[in-house]
Amino acid sequence: MSEPEIATTETAPRQSPRGLDRPFMQRRAEFEEALARNASARGAEAGASLPRASLWSDAFHRFMKNRASVVAAVAFLLLLAFVIFVPWLSNEDPYAIDFSQAYQSPSWSHPFGTDGFGRDLFIRTALGGRVSFAIGFAATFAIMVVGIVYGATAGFLGGHVDNALMRFLDALYGLPYLPFAIMTLAVFGTVNFWTMVVALTIASWFTTARVMRGQIITLKQNDYVRAAYAVGAKGPRVLYRHLLMNTLGVIIVFVFLELPGVILGEAFLSFLGLGINPPKASWGTLAQDGYTAYATHPYIIVIPSICIAWLILSAFFIADGLRDALDPRTKEA
Amino acid sequence: MPLLEVEDLRTYFKTREGEVHAVDGVSFEVEEGSVLGIVGESGCGKSVTSLSIMGLVQSPGRVVSGSIRFEGRELTTMSDKALEDVRGMQISMIFQDPMTSLNPTLTIGTQITETIRRHLGLSKAEADKRAIQLLEEVHIPDAARRMRDYPHRFSGGMRQRVMIAMALSCNPKLLIADEPTTALDVTVQAGVLETLDELRRDHGMTMIIISHNMGVIAETAEQVLVMYAGQIVEQASVIDLFDRPEHPYTEALLGSLPHIDDHDPRNDRLATIPGRPPDLLVPPEACRFAPRCKYAGIDDCSKVQPELREIRTGHWVRSRHPASERSAEPVGAR
Repeated sequence: MSEPEIATTETAPRQSPRGLDRPFMQRRAEFEEALARNASARGAEAGASLPRASLWSDAFHRFMKNRASVVAAVAFLLLLAFVIFVPWLSNEDPYAIDFSQAYQSPSWSHPFGTDGFGRDLFIRTALGGRVSFAIGFAATFAIMVVGIVYGATAGFLGGHVDNALMRFLDALYGLPYLPFAIMTLAVFGTVNFWTMVVALTIASWFTTARVMRGQIITLKQNDYVRAAYAVGAKGPRVLYRHLLMNTLGVIIVFVFLELPGVILGEAFLSFLGLGINPPKASWGTLAQDGYTAYATHPYIIVIPSICIAWLILSAFFIADGLRDALDPRTKEA
Repeated sequence: MPLLEVEDLRTYFKTREGEVHAVDGVSFEVEEGSVLGIVGESGCGKSVTSLSIMGLVQSPGRVVSGSIRFEGRELTTMSDKALEDVRGMQISMIFQDPMTSLNPTLTIGTQITETIRRHLGLSKAEADKRAIQLLEEVHIPDAARRMRDYPHRFSGGMRQRVMIAMALSCNPKLLIADEPTTALDVTVQAGVLETLDELRRDHGMTMIIISHNMGVIAETAEQVLVMYAGQIVEQASVIDLFDRPEHPYTEALLGSLPHIDDHDPRNDRLATIPGRPPDLLVPPEACRFAPRCKYAGIDDCSKVQPELREIRTGHWVRSRHPASERSAEPVGAR
């Protein structure tokens, strides 16, 4: 572009660089045209250059940036793999009693040693883990279902229904956790996988319900919920699409917070002798077996305890990472 | 028959201290194809009026009395189920803050097509086509591709355009725009208003536009309601209202707009209206504007509520001292 010309003589027609001599409307039209050209060019560029990102891929990237959580996730998967694959690949019989092999310290043939009946603890720990994990996952799932339905109902309906449901929950909150679970088991009379799941669920769904209710009430205030109603959305649709779907992040985080609690609860009950019946085992009953001989053969109690601690720690760190990753407010990716 | 008739609408909110009379006896009509502007300061009942029409007043608020008739059908006594079909299909609404009016976890395509499919019963492909067409109508470039984007990838003005597209998706007869441009940049405002106007013409839609911005009202509305403390204080055509405002409140509102034509605004303070609106918990028996009115005091302004009266054809005012009836300067002159 050439230098702006500055009128030097009086006789030359004034030619201002901004073209102020042209009529206003003409200048305005030119300006608008330029603006439109610019805008469409910018629009096309923006559309092309920005990478397409979904909520989940964003969350995944954020999670991968949190080193502690990634380590925890790997640890969790390793433990899960141990529990799943070891009983498959091993040809050791977990129930074979051989007193000549009793109380063997960890060695190549028995990596975790043997117990008082001479049973291999490596495979028993893996099998016990299966039981612990299965009970943990099943009870967590049940807790989520019960808690979400209860909490979402209270939060969505509000008013008197909410009040009644929450006061009932408050009353249940007053009961201590373990006696509640023990009582439930006593009512059933037997301890097996399913009664254990039910007992743990009954004793620990309260917090999930409360958190869900709080989430739903918060989300209900959102403008987009009001806007959805304004364009004619129906109640159940709003509840599902705009409220429940938006709590998904919280629910996922809560699964990983609830899981270790439930597994610890199961271990605790088993340790007290209220666990799965022998010869089957969970980490809790294995630890209880070890308790009787802890002075002479400490590895029997230490190994299942480490497994439980490993699981709980990794789940908590995963939950921590997930919470940060799924929170849309942590935008920088 | 007018498209919408509101008669003596009263919407109160229950609070611990008592009932707040947010909308207190509002009546107006909207003719098919016209644009009604509602103007007033924050808390005067503009938004509550529109939410009442939509049947979206939330507890602890409720429509206490009055009637709202849309095409002759009474909305206040309609069942929730029937109302759901009126909302979106017949009357639609867009809100002030486009940043929070879209669900952040769904693509805008999903959010638009959902409404279309539910109300019009179209297939997925047809709904997609219609949504793209709508987005093009509100001037979103590259509409087909933007369908798959999440709301956080849109600017405020774009989001408001998406909201408009959504509100228009089922061809409503009446669109209520509650402060549609308040949250936007001034430059974006003009564009959004222009689009709204264009769409209104194309679709033959009736519109109620709510704003506290006199400029927005002047540009868009045909008829104007001025609200103050839950009541209508003046009603006139837009030209008459801006040329010959009658109510002291309207005069003061217009007087408090900055002018750049006659003097330098930087050297002058902006004119303001002294005082605050009355407490709507116990609305005064008197004229509600009396404590702030510079003409009040010569007669029983502080005792009796003035009625809304037609001071000339099509121009209604609720004041004892409308501009055209004043002879002298204010008595309690400031």
